[in-house]
Amino acid sequence: MTTRYERTWDNRRKQSKQTPADESANGARSVTDQTRASYYGVPVIHKPHWKWLIIVYFFVGGISGASYVLASIAHLVGGKDAGRIVRAGRYLSLAALLPSPILLILDLGRPERFHHMLYILKLRSTMSVGTWILTIFSGFCGLSALIQAAEDGLLSRIGFANRLLLALPAKAIGAIGSLFGFGMSGYTGILIAATAVPFWAKNYRLMGPLFLTSALSNASAAITLTLSLARGTSHSTLQRLEHLDMLAAIGELTLLIMARRNLGPVIARPLREGSLGNIYRWGVLGVGITAPLALLSLTRLKPHAAPRLLAGISAALTLIGGFLFRYVFVMAGRASADDPQATYEFTRRERPLG
Amino acid sequence: MNAAIPLIDSDLVGTTGARHGAMGYLTDTTLCIGCKACEVACKQWNQLPMDNLEWTGYSYDNTKDLSATTWRHVAFIEQLDGTNGHSPGVMPPFQSNWLMMSDICKHCVKAGCLEACPTGAIIRTEFDTVVIQQDICNGCGYCVPSCPFGVPDLSASDHKAHKCTLCYDRMVDDLEPACSKACPTDSIQFGPIDELMQRAERRVAELHQRGVKSAYIYGDRAVGGTQGIDGLNCFFILTAEPEVYNLPAYPELPQDKVGSAWLATLGAAFAIGAVAVAALRGR
Amino acid sequence: MPGLGARLGRGGATTFQQNLAESDCIVIMGSNMAENHPVGFRFVMQAKQRGATLIHVDPRFTRTSAMSDVHVPLRAGSDVAFLGALVNYVINSERWNSDPFFREYVTHYTNASVIINQDFKDTEELAGVFSGYNPETRQYDFETWQYDGEQDHSTSPSGDRSTNRDQTGPNRDEAKEVQTAEPRGEFVGRLTGQPRTDPSLQDPMCAFQIVKRHFARYTPELVERICGVPQDLFLRVAEALVTNSGRDRTSSFCYAVAWTQHTIGTQMISCCALLQLLLGNIGRPGGGILALRGHATIQGSTDIPTLYNLLPGYLPMPTSVKKHDTLTDYLQVETPELGWWYNTPKYMVSLLKAWYGDAATPENGFAYDLMPKIEADYSFQKMLLMMKDGIIKGLFCMGENPVVGGQNAVLGRQALANLQWLVVRDVFEIETAAFWYDAPEVRKGELRPQDIKTEVFFLPASLTGEKEGSYTNTQRLVQWHDKAVEPRGDCRSESWFMLQLGKRLKELYAGDTSARGRQINTLTWDYPTIGETGEPDLDAVIREINGYTVADKKLVKSFVDLKADGSTACGCWIYSGIMPEEGKNLSKNRRGDEAAALEWGFAWPANRRILYNRASADPQGRPWSERKKWVWWDDTQGEWTGLDVPDFPKTKRPDYQPPEGAKGIDAHPGDAPFIMMADGKGWLYAASGLRDGPLPTHYEPWESPIGNALYPEQPRSPSALFFERPDNVYHELGDPRFPYVITTYRLTEHLTAGGMTRYVPWLAELQPGGFLEISPELAAELDISNGDWVTVMTLRGEAETRAMVTLRLQPLHLGDQIVHQIGMPWHFGYGGLAKGGIANDLSALVQDPNSRIHEGKSFTCNLRKGRAAGHPAGYSTKRPSPELTRQAGEEEGHWVKGDVKGDHGA
Ligand SMILES: Nc1nc2c(c(=O)[nH]1)N[C@H]1C(S)=C(S)[C@@H](COP(=O)(O)OP(=O)(O)OC[C@H]3O[C@@H](n4cnc5c(=O)[nH]c(N)nc54)[C@H](O)[C@@H]3O)O[C@H]1N2
Ligand SMILES: Nc1nc2c(c(=O)[nH]1)N[C@H]1C(S)=C(S)[C@@H](COP(=O)(O)OP(=O)(O)OC[C@H]3O[C@@H](n4cnc5c(=O)[nH]c(N)nc54)[C@H](O)[C@@H]3O)O[C@H]1N2
Ligand code: SF4
Ligand code: SF4
Ligand code: SF4
Ligand code: SF4
Ligand code: SF4
Ligand SMILES: [Mo]
Repeated sequence: MTTRYERTWDNRRKQSKQTPADESANGARSVTDQTRASYYGVPVIHKPHWKWLIIVYFFVGGISGASYVLASIAHLVGGKDAGRIVRAGRYLSLAALLPSPILLILDLGRPERFHHMLYILKLRSTMSVGTWILTIFSGFCGLSALIQAAEDGLLSRIGFANRLLLALPAKAIGAIGSLFGFGMSGYTGILIAATAVPFWAKNYRLMGPLFLTSALSNASAAITLTLSLARGTSHSTLQRLEHLDMLAAIGELTLLIMARRNLGPVIARPLREGSLGNIYRWGVLGVGITAPLALLSLTRLKPHAAPRLLAGISAALTLIGGFLFRYVFVMAGRASADDPQATYEFTRRERPLG
Repeated sequence: MNAAIPLIDSDLVGTTGARHGAMGYLTDTTLCIGCKACEVACKQWNQLPMDNLEWTGYSYDNTKDLSATTWRHVAFIEQLDGTNGHSPGVMPPFQSNWLMMSDICKHCVKAGCLEACPTGAIIRTEFDTVVIQQDICNGCGYCVPSCPFGVPDLSASDHKAHKCTLCYDRMVDDLEPACSKACPTDSIQFGPIDELMQRAERRVAELHQRGVKSAYIYGDRAVGGTQGIDGLNCFFILTAEPEVYNLPAYPELPQDKVGSAWLATLGAAFAIGAVAVAALRGR
Repeated sequence: MPGLGARLGRGGATTFQQNLAESDCIVIMGSNMAENHPVGFRFVMQAKQRGATLIHVDPRFTRTSAMSDVHVPLRAGSDVAFLGALVNYVINSERWNSDPFFREYVTHYTNASVIINQDFKDTEELAGVFSGYNPETRQYDFETWQYDGEQDHSTSPSGDRSTNRDQTGPNRDEAKEVQTAEPRGEFVGRLTGQPRTDPSLQDPMCAFQIVKRHFARYTPELVERICGVPQDLFLRVAEALVTNSGRDRTSSFCYAVAWTQHTIGTQMISCCALLQLLLGNIGRPGGGILALRGHATIQGSTDIPTLYNLLPGYLPMPTSVKKHDTLTDYLQVETPELGWWYNTPKYMVSLLKAWYGDAATPENGFAYDLMPKIEADYSFQKMLLMMKDGIIKGLFCMGENPVVGGQNAVLGRQALANLQWLVVRDVFEIETAAFWYDAPEVRKGELRPQDIKTEVFFLPASLTGEKEGSYTNTQRLVQWHDKAVEPRGDCRSESWFMLQLGKRLKELYAGDTSARGRQINTLTWDYPTIGETGEPDLDAVIREINGYTVADKKLVKSFVDLKADGSTACGCWIYSGIMPEEGKNLSKNRRGDEAAALEWGFAWPANRRILYNRASADPQGRPWSERKKWVWWDDTQGEWTGLDVPDFPKTKRPDYQPPEGAKGIDAHPGDAPFIMMADGKGWLYAASGLRDGPLPTHYEPWESPIGNALYPEQPRSPSALFFERPDNVYHELGDPRFPYVITTYRLTEHLTAGGMTRYVPWLAELQPGGFLEISPELAAELDISNGDWVTVMTLRGEAETRAMVTLRLQPLHLGDQIVHQIGMPWHFGYGGLAKGGIANDLSALVQDPNSRIHEGKSFTCNLRKGRAAGHPAGYSTKRPSPELTRQAGEEEGHWVKGDVKGDHGA
């Protein structure tokens, strides 16, 4: 028995840079021609069914988690001045959280069986872990929002509860809840990275950080936007947020560039080609990152030139970009799953796993 | 396409990594005549409806791939363009120039679908096979992209995930699974993995000796079963690169990435936390 | 299957599929075995695993080719040139001339040494025809073909009155070309004594030398010019065959309808028999010729025939054009003096006793006068024409879909439209039942349903699993199948229907003493029935087929027990022995073993698996070799023994010499394995029995893009039967309007005209629509891409379909000329789920003169890109309506409904 498989093919398969044969079926192309580059362009793996519900969930879920984190951090280190940020963060977090389970359940093939996920925890199943993160985080998020409500005097009518809530260690709750908040905004990246989809899996180490950073930037922007619309927000509060916005955008941009380089030309094809490529270039990078960065730099240069308006616009652009980022990444994953070349590329070489 | 897959570790050749007593398939494509009896037998036994009626022009393959309602799928690859575009009259023995391969769920020794499933619907049976329990599955669809081979799929009618069960319902009654039972040329051989793997090795050696130098086993740890999957309980004897049959050359177990992905995310969380602290710090 | 019958004695596969595993070389030619006989192909794969060489000769590269060591693409219809060249190669090969095995086999077991009539002239002398040809009638007189010396002329065709008798049949002209029942004497030879021979094979008029001369011009160069096969490829096949034949090795051939469906189809098969005799491959394990039959029991339906010109057990059907007036006349004409058929009277009388019971007495010639006599050609194509012309007024169509499967289906539909009534018994409302509202002509508005006067009755038939019964498969093996479920609704089995039809006819004709009335009254029709629906008890039918003694109704053990005096009755003598004891139906046997599997089912005759297996031993009765032993002479027991049932008188010694004046089988010496033939020999040279010549000759198909390279003056078969008329026009040879050769064939995924597959979702999805296969070269010429719509045209009709552009087809280089071939599966029609243009709308009615089989495997056509006007195929390429997909799930009461692959979508 040979200890080493010598594998030589005389099957005349040519190294080919053609696009899958299906795409250009002109000329007298034979059946054989159609299998030169791939198996008739049929996907090697199955793409997930995820579309709008999941894209929206990724967006709001990320905001929910990151707002909570920001609110908690602001509560911990922000001093008195940060009250508005804390309040906005906590409420936003809850507001963004509320649709999340609904979106997720609606996305199930059998929504009535959503609870089947709650009888089991599988650490290597990010969907399972994510479900539990969401569940637990909901508790913290709700609790913190209630505390905020109590602080805001909204619950004074139910006196007992009001007192109880005010007596709770809000900072500690926020600190622990933040761990789950991070989880909330980061697990989605891992969820999609831990699949066979080349576009996601190729960058498995970057997807969590990317989603996290993007969530932070979105949450920060959401808070900025809210506060910029609200009357009486102090300039310094806004400045702090703008600062954060900028750092997040820079971080996101760095990660995106790293990710893009790591993908290589074949797997990154959806980012390069077609409408998805355009949305990525103009929407995510342009509207979502470059434009806000420019606007924010502008506010830096001219500190008093209508900062509120600029901050608001830049935040809104960031949010749009954040949404588009998720849209592009989900759809690009689907597209790369459909592209046999991407899968071949992804699975061609033996790669040590970290 | 890459011309050769170098062997990673010769010690790994000839072992699927399966548990002792594991049952599965050796699909020897050199014996496959592309009759699709396996496809039909599977549909018949499992009462699966037809997929669609689309004439593809993809040689004789009109079902294209595995799906929620096609659990065996026969691929057809025409490779006749040898000398000046004419079919060569004399060929290597056994299936040649028109490759046919009956694909199926690989019942991975470590299965991406199973590890992904958040409801526990996907289980490993006493035969070391991977089965979706239809009364548990809630159609989250996570197993679908988590399979490196593109096997499970959500059904558009009952919205649950479906794939080959390795005929669990027949095995518990000591019956051979339907598709191998129907295979006229014993291209599909059912049995204990250890035995099948030995048979596969012998067969590959024989094929080499008879001039089919390109034959190899896809699905032992060496090829198509490393990177965490640790071998396939349904493995194949192939004579061309995996990609020719639309199989990934080095598929990996997606869940093996979860740990380091979390680590990286944790790191990012720290960094982000630090940035946020720095930015939001009260003055 | 006269091709095998005329050279070997029986028109059935000489071996069985399991035995292919013993072959050292298997040539599949004229069949696509892997696709059409996938289960039998298992044994080919086993042979391959053991190291056998597998060769596939086919115009297309098919799933069989993919498994072969050598694929030889040849021009459809040129097989005789290829086989003839193999014969020539073998005779002149070094091995054949040096290994004494071949000489010994050929001189003892074939008629190679027999001296032929000095008046015989070969095609080489007469520019493409043999002596005895009458261009007026396009028929041969066999007289000059005979063995030299003493002949018995009493059974010669002089008893044939087909040309000089005043016809009173339905159509006088038709009767002139009547295909009478197979003339037994012509088939096996009209000998009365031992022929004159030259064992040295040197005499110029000995059969061997005639064969040798006849094929001398069939060279590798000629193969290249006629078949388009490169010479080296041909030589490789020849070499493989010669090295894998001999004392220790055997080669086998498998063929099916790609040899039968030609105007010279019978000669292709007979050429194969000739070659295999020369190579010493007949009657030996791993050797022989496997005729792969079609439908599940198509073999059965020639044994106990649905053919108009045969009685059960290959007894000729009495006819009015021969001297068949009384039983004595009939027996005199049809009983040869020598060979097994000497027993004809026993079988005929026993059959008459089985059919007419007590009404059959020695005094009234066993009621022979009640048996109808045919007086015209009622073969399928002729029948269509008679329907079209209003001569035939009604049709029972049971288990057939002629408007898809019949040649010139356009004419076929017109013929149906001209009937008064049509009964279709089928499992779905197939195209034949729906023609009056669904046919392309109707869709296009050329024919209006209200103008079709045919009254159509559609009766539901029960399926295989809903009834018990037997199948006789390709290797003459009868196997029983049980009923699994009750038929639904009004579905009934054929036997129920036939029983009822007979009963009701008997009621209608009760007391009628006219000839017609008596024919129906006297028939025994007393099968007991069982079950609620009154299905006939099939064991009773098997009893009758097996045969019994009339007096005590005791079953006979085998046909050896049958008598000509009316004391026995037997429904089909070759099946006799299938139920040797009460309650023991051997077709239900299910015990396999490694060798002949004698206890699996029952193979006629007498459960023999390899026919002529006396030839597996040398003339002295010893196995030719240890490796290839099968049946041999056991001197201590004084009988033939071995792994199979000997196809030879059990105690006849190998050195037996017939006494003077011996008759029947006793006239054969102990080394004559072909017991059905008059001289006990395999016929290299067929002195009679084949209507188009004693030796296979290459003629072009009726429609061909080129002329005959061998005999330019005689391009087509001189005796092919054709029907030139406005609704069945032929293309001239080389007609530039129809430059392409088209051949039609099957796909694994569908069965024949599709009634059982195109309507079944699971099978329909595997090949969901019609298509044709062309080479990239032809595609480039016509600007066709893979998947395009195309339209094929002939003068008979057109068909639109999709193009599969594949390297599996290739242009053939015949010298300087390039011929393109088009391959088109003919399964598709306008009904069911998987639809497509009908290939048989293109084909023509034209026949092989021996078997009356059409030429569906090679004719000419034109092809263009684009759809036909009006989209008559009306076939969908995308998803069917949800109702259709749902059917599958719902009918089984299962969870999945209308499952469609694709996005689940959120
Ligand atoms: N799956 C399936 N199996 C079947 C059937 C079916 O419809 N479907 N039908 C059954 C029936 S009824 C029959 S009769 C048998 C028929 O069995 P086959 O004879 O094997 O059937 P075909 O597909 O008609 O023709 C066989 C091959 O002949 C080739 N061919 C065409 N012309 C020529 C020629 O001139 N010379 C040579 N050498 N080859 C030629 C064709 O390319 C084709 O590949 O199959 C039986 N089995
Ligand atoms: N061009 C071209 N034409 C050909 C051929 C070719 O190769 N080329 N091949 C020829 C050959 S070999 C053949 S055999 C013919 C076949 O041609 P057909 O005999 O016309 O076609 P089938 O589809 O086999 O028809 C059988 C029908 O019987 C029905 N059936 C099944 N079981 C039962 C039953 O138990 N009872 C009843 N009553 N019906 C039943 C099926 O549903 C089906 O509709 O076609 C011939 N035509
Ligand atoms: S092949 Fe895919 S579906 Fe099958 S066990 Fe492996 S991961 Fe699961
Ligand atoms: S779709 Fe069903 S089987 Fe697949 S992961 Fe979700 S719950 Fe598990
Ligand atoms: S093992 Fe059973 S379920 Fe799996 S493909 Fe075969 S028949 Fe289908
Ligand atoms: S049943 Fe066997 S021979 Fe037929 S397609 Fe399936 S694996 Fe191949
Ligand atoms: S369909 Fe029936 S006859 Fe044909 S190969 Fe299958 S089992 Fe045999
Ligand atoms: Mo047939």
